[in-house]
Amino acid sequence: MAGKSGREINAVPQSSVKQKILSWEGGLVIIFIAVLILGAAISPTYNFSSVFREMPKYLCEIFMMFAMGYILIIAEIDISVGAIVCLAATLGCFAGNAGVPLAGVIAVCIGTGFLAGCLNGVILTHFTELPSMIVTLGTQIIFRGIAEVSLGSGGSVSMSNSKMIMPLATMVGPFPLVFFFVAIAAVIFIFVLSRTTFGRKLYAVGSNHTAAHYAGIPVQKIRMICFVLIGTMAGVCALFYLSTTFGANTTTGQGYEMDVIAMCVFGGIATTGGKGNLIGATIAGFTIVCLRIALGQRNINTQLILVIIGLLLIVSVLIPRISEVLGNRKRRAAQS
Amino acid sequence: MKRKVVSTMLCAAMAAGLLAGCGSSSSSSAASSSSAASSASAASSSGSAETTETAASSASEAVKSGSTAAAGTADASGHTYAIVTKSAGNPYNEREASGFQDTIEALGGTCIVQNPEQATADAQISVINSLISQKVDSIAVAANDANALSAVLQQAMDAGIKVMTLDSDVEASSRMVFCNQAGVKEVGQALIDAVYDITGGEGEYAILSATSQATNQNSWIDAMKSIAESDDKYSKLVLDEVAYGDDEPQKSTDQTQALLQKYPNLKVICSPTTVGISAAAKVLQDQNSSVKLTGLGLPSEMKEYIGDDDSHSCPYMFLWNPIDLGKLAAYTSVALVSGQITGAEGDTFDAGDMENSPYTVTTNTDGATEIILGPPYKFDSSNIDEWAEVY
Repeated sequence: MAGKSGREINAVPQSSVKQKILSWEGGLVIIFIAVLILGAAISPTYNFSSVFREMPKYLCEIFMMFAMGYILIIAEIDISVGAIVCLAATLGCFAGNAGVPLAGVIAVCIGTGFLAGCLNGVILTHFTELPSMIVTLGTQIIFRGIAEVSLGSGGSVSMSNSKMIMPLATMVGPFPLVFFFVAIAAVIFIFVLSRTTFGRKLYAVGSNHTAAHYAGIPVQKIRMICFVLIGTMAGVCALFYLSTTFGANTTTGQGYEMDVIAMCVFGGIATTGGKGNLIGATIAGFTIVCLRIALGQRNINTQLILVIIGLLLIVSVLIPRISEVLGNRKRRAAQS
Repeated sequence: MKRKVVSTMLCAAMAAGLLAGCGSSSSSSAASSSSAASSASAASSSGSAETTETAASSASEAVKSGSTAAAGTADASGHTYAIVTKSAGNPYNEREASGFQDTIEALGGTCIVQNPEQATADAQISVINSLISQKVDSIAVAANDANALSAVLQQAMDAGIKVMTLDSDVEASSRMVFCNQAGVKEVGQALIDAVYDITGGEGEYAILSATSQATNQNSWIDAMKSIAESDDKYSKLVLDEVAYGDDEPQKSTDQTQALLQKYPNLKVICSPTTVGISAAAKVLQDQNSSVKLTGLGLPSEMKEYIGDDDSHSCPYMFLWNPIDLGKLAAYTSVALVSGQITGAEGDTFDAGDMENSPYTVTTNTDGATEIILGPPYKFDSSNIDEWAEVY
């Protein structure tokens, strides 16, 4: 649609196959495929069934990744999620051992996550000047502390009736049940972020929360919703964690927050807020999971796996900067 | 637009780099595995040159005949045995793993050593999952948590993998057998013998324990007492007191000083806890006391106190040898995979040149099956320097 001046005023960019491939997500898809090929090349046992059999343990983290994407897009951070997983799994396990049926355990896990998220949200929205990094660092210590106190001297608890939680660990054909839940969550989270006004508001808050406030966006309400959401997803994660380990201990969920943030950043979400989308993060999450499984099956030293994933992360945050610098240099060269 | 081209090129370069990097690592690991294989074959050939009586053929015949009696060490070739330690960077664990690996490779098997990235059950679950995918023949694990590994180990057993534990156990139902580094009776026997030896067969001794509820210490002390009562040899030994230092250095120090004041005729203090023994060692050595010390201690902490002369407070002490524990776990894994044992009580198998071979599966007080390594390992002036660097 051309305006009076003859310029294009319709802001919808033309999409082409070439552009799709050149986008961040396109690059991620290529890397994802490369990881799958790599896995098959280096490990004779790397196949459909073995990957899906090993996946549930990593998949429970993906639930939190979606909500973490929202948190990062509104330029906040939540590092208490690992501790919330620990607390929710512990309480869920206690509930199960006290004779509560599966539905009750589900309610306890998700409810614990919900309440923990509420606590984070209430503190952050009532004392808006506090940085979320510090508040969630504090609550992280509190949540893990409560879990450790309730676990007592042994530091671990196991499901006395592990059959009860088994329905969550079943395989549907070659897929683990949790895979479908992740898929459903992915569709909902991606849809809400990219196709609803709530999603647009998240980007607005993340880009400039003062401007968003004056534009009539309920910034604090949105922050509250996001923190409750990630707490709740941590509860879901705890539930599926229980279904893979039948128990919880003081180290449950350790480092999950960093795994999840890494997946988001690798997926192109900027921690400064307002940028990125969950399609990229989802592909990135599965890429990291498949890479870990592949390297694990090749018996590559676990510390080396961490190094490789760390490098991947650094490179992924560097690429936009490098291309920017190169672009600037070219422009300057053209000007002179 | 140009930016995107650049970024895509970088992406592609990154992917290529990944492929190249991992390609080279896989080739290098292939090289290392081939060198491992060659060293293993060299080891096995030298082994067969030295000891022909443990020939693999006789072992496999014994297996075929279904005999559960000690019948030579089974052949390990063609099988893959994995060990999962508690975490990387822990010298104690590394010794265990090296004992395991050397033994497996000497028997002609392929060994996978996996150190989880953290000392957590979580990290071990990932590693074990990966080993299940690789269809290894056995997994030996030093568990970071007694409960959390049940599900994944059960899965491994369902997949036909032989599962055993060493060093620290899991629930009895989720493994076939446990290699225990210290049987209660063996520890009690070693300690009471040390007291007997250091006192010269008669005199007063005291025990400095951890907390009064500590399960391990209480069972060892009970074993000492019952052995002392059952044999006339120990009748001249008098136990003055069992003091509790609560595994706190300061309280252990105070308790040691109290013991010295209360019992002027005291000859020996026996401390079956690493915290207690190092606190007591310092007190005795600082005061130049004639009272001597023995017990269970970490070589690295006790290095400066161990010696035969009067300037050292501790002539010798005990703990277990992690290398031997790894070796025993290796022989156990091989025996499980070959079908020579199933982990049931009474099963017997041969463990090569190990001191207490053949080993028998026993049942502990909780009804769980275990294989006990043997009497604890003695640390004295001759070997303390070497072990102090280990753990």
